Amino acid sequence: MLLLSAPFDAARGGHGAPIAAPCALAGGAALLGAATGVWIELQGGGPPGLGRSAAAAVLHAGFFAVGWILATDGRPGWPRPALIMAAAFLAASVASRLSSWGATAFLLVPLVLVGVSRGHAELRRIGLARPKGLLPLTAGLGVGIFLGAHLLVTSSLTFGYGVRIANAGAYLSAVGYDVGANALTAEWLFRGALFSRWWRRWRFWPAAALATAVGVARYLLDPALASAVEVRAGAVFYMALLGVGCCALRAWSGSLLPGYSATVVFFAAYRLLAP
Amino acid sequence: MIAVQLLLLALITAAMAADGAGPPSAVRHLYLVPTLWAALGAGAAGGGLIGLLAGLLQAPLVLPAIERMGLGSRTLDGLVSLVTPVSVGWLVGLLVDASRGRAARLRAVLEIQRSLGREVPLEERLESVVEGVRAALGAQRVGLVVTAEDESRAPVAVPSGPGFDERSAAGLAQRTGRPVWVEDLRSDPRLGAPAAGGPTPIRGLVLPLDAGRGAVGALAIEREGDLTPAVRVAAEEMAMHLALAIENARLTLRQRRFAEELERKVEAATARLRELDQAKSEFLSVVSHELRTPLTALQGFSELLLTRAVPPERARRFLGHLHGEAQRLGRIVAELLDLSRIQAGRPLELRREAVDLNEVIERNVELFAAEHRGHQFGWAGCPNGLTLEADQDAVDRMLKNLLSNAVKYSPAGGRVAVAAGPAPDHPGMVELSVEDDGVGIAAEHLPRIFDRYMRIANPETAAARGLGLGLSLVKALAEAHGGRVEVDSLPGKGSRFRVLLPG
Repeated sequence: MLLLSAPFDAARGGHGAPIAAPCALAGGAALLGAATGVWIELQGGGPPGLGRSAAAAVLHAGFFAVGWILATDGRPGWPRPALIMAAAFLAASVASRLSSWGATAFLLVPLVLVGVSRGHAELRRIGLARPKGLLPLTAGLGVGIFLGAHLLVTSSLTFGYGVRIANAGAYLSAVGYDVGANALTAEWLFRGALFSRWWRRWRFWPAAALATAVGVARYLLDPALASAVEVRAGAVFYMALLGVGCCALRAWSGSLLPGYSATVVFFAAYRLLAP
Repeated sequence: MIAVQLLLLALITAAMAADGAGPPSAVRHLYLVPTLWAALGAGAAGGGLIGLLAGLLQAPLVLPAIERMGLGSRTLDGLVSLVTPVSVGWLVGLLVDASRGRAARLRAVLEIQRSLGREVPLEERLESVVEGVRAALGAQRVGLVVTAEDESRAPVAVPSGPGFDERSAAGLAQRTGRPVWVEDLRSDPRLGAPAAGGPTPIRGLVLPLDAGRGAVGALAIEREGDLTPAVRVAAEEMAMHLALAIENARLTLRQRRFAEELERKVEAATARLRELDQAKSEFLSVVSHELRTPLTALQGFSELLLTRAVPPERARRFLGHLHGEAQRLGRIVAELLDLSRIQAGRPLELRREAVDLNEVIERNVELFAAEHRGHQFGWAGCPNGLTLEADQDAVDRMLKNLLSNAVKYSPAGGRVAVAAGPAPDHPGMVELSVEDDGVGIAAEHLPRIFDRYMRIANPETAAARGLGLGLSLVKALAEAHGGRVEVDSLPGKGSRFRVLLPG
């Protein structure tokens, strides 16, 4: 028992190395890359939408890099996986932009993430591990299905939104993006890095509330989100529920996978909504 | 259980949808049934979750109505219905958790008292306590360190596995009397290099066991996940009870030891009283015998002188016997008077004057040599003379008693050596020693030979006469002078008595 047998040095300082500088560097680089992508798009360079897709890919790479830095307590060596993941995001984005079926490239991004994380045992701390048994995964799917179904029923009954797949290619592209970028980096950064880090310092509820608030803010700042009041209110409501639910799944199962599956399923349902 | 509760929720939602009454449907109140059931069964987490689901399931029925009709009294009622199940479930669950926690704490406290009161080794008792605390707090590991009452001994630690380190967090809490809080045992640098760690933080809390008289140990708790304020309060309460229970157990142990020691002392005192009683009985018998012997002689010789015509030479011899027996009687009476004075607690009256020790020793040695021709008396004398400030009569009696003892307890032909001079090992004191080569005294009897009425049973000296008062009188007289008496003796080799008197 560590508290009885391990020497305890009360004079030693708090948790880990300073992380502000590498986080700022990674975040700044991501923003710069995203701005460059948008600028290219505005200048009309390349196929339409490619610059915007590249900007989104670079932002997700930034989320990944910041998550990695937080997860490893700012230890050096983060740029390499960040660059590999940036390349993967960019490749998948370009592929999905060039062809509807190209979005399937996003399905490879989680595998790339697993590959770059191999050999980094410290990433178990953020939940990069398989859950024990099928129950957590089933629970994650259950949460995603329930919230997704609830979103569809409530939106259609309340605001008259239709539930349909208008364009199979666009739907597949959107779901691919959710699987390989949106849900992946959301779980990685908000539940994996931020929630895990804060949970180690505080109790569950403050950590879950803050990580969820940051996650909701990320979606509210997303320019792709419609500006209609009911959409924004719904985003806050469902993203908050999904965020807290995923934090609970992460805490209970010790793995990011149940929350990731819940987010993917929820967004798959969300993509069915049509005004 | 949760499956049935979820099924109930689904049935109620279906019934509400079929009812068609919208938000004010009476069926909505049924949501409270699975919610309360979950709260009573699984506490705040269960009640909150089922309540939240109930609210979410109502939402598709309530929200469209609000959108259609705007916020009115009916729709507002429906809106309140959305948050009612989650609020009720969570609050009832909190109360259930609190009461369960209190019950668990009470059980643990009772278990602590029961365990520490058991008649088994301390480690075993602490193991039982640790298990009780662990179960009550829902912790993964609980450890306990209890300082030994005797500070030179190592503290007792449970579990005893890798061993207790004084530099550990538990050692720190025990030394400083302050709690130690560790947010995550696997990543806190104060516990050494951070390990890779697992996905769930392990909280650590060490509380000093202090019942108000300083820390008697420390209680260490390691718990995966959250260590809520309620658990912390429970741990503090248990630490306080543990400290009190340990103090009580120690007090009981001390009382028991004290009672046992008292019992031993009473037994020893009773045995001593019995011995004294027996010695007194023997003393009375000896006294009557010692008094009767000279009285019989006095009676017999005086009767002969009175009733018969005794030739003058023989009459003179008889008178000599009469004088000797009268002197002996006088000595016995003097000893008895001194004894009664000592017993009454009155100090012996001394008439201090300059005493020429040479002269006293010489006179007594000549006297004893004349009376006991079978013994060889040795006295070299002091070349420069030896004078001390003392009661001459007391010094004389001390010497007579010692010489008398030496003669009594050494065989015919035995040697009795007297010596006097400044004590080499006690500056400012004069020593007067009498040494014989008699039967000696066994080591176990030495501490008691100066006691009153004490006569050591020895077949070789059974015929020796005496009251058992001589040595106690020597001791009392030496102490009255501010001195003392010492003895060295070996059975079969002889004894040496040494009287030390201020010079």
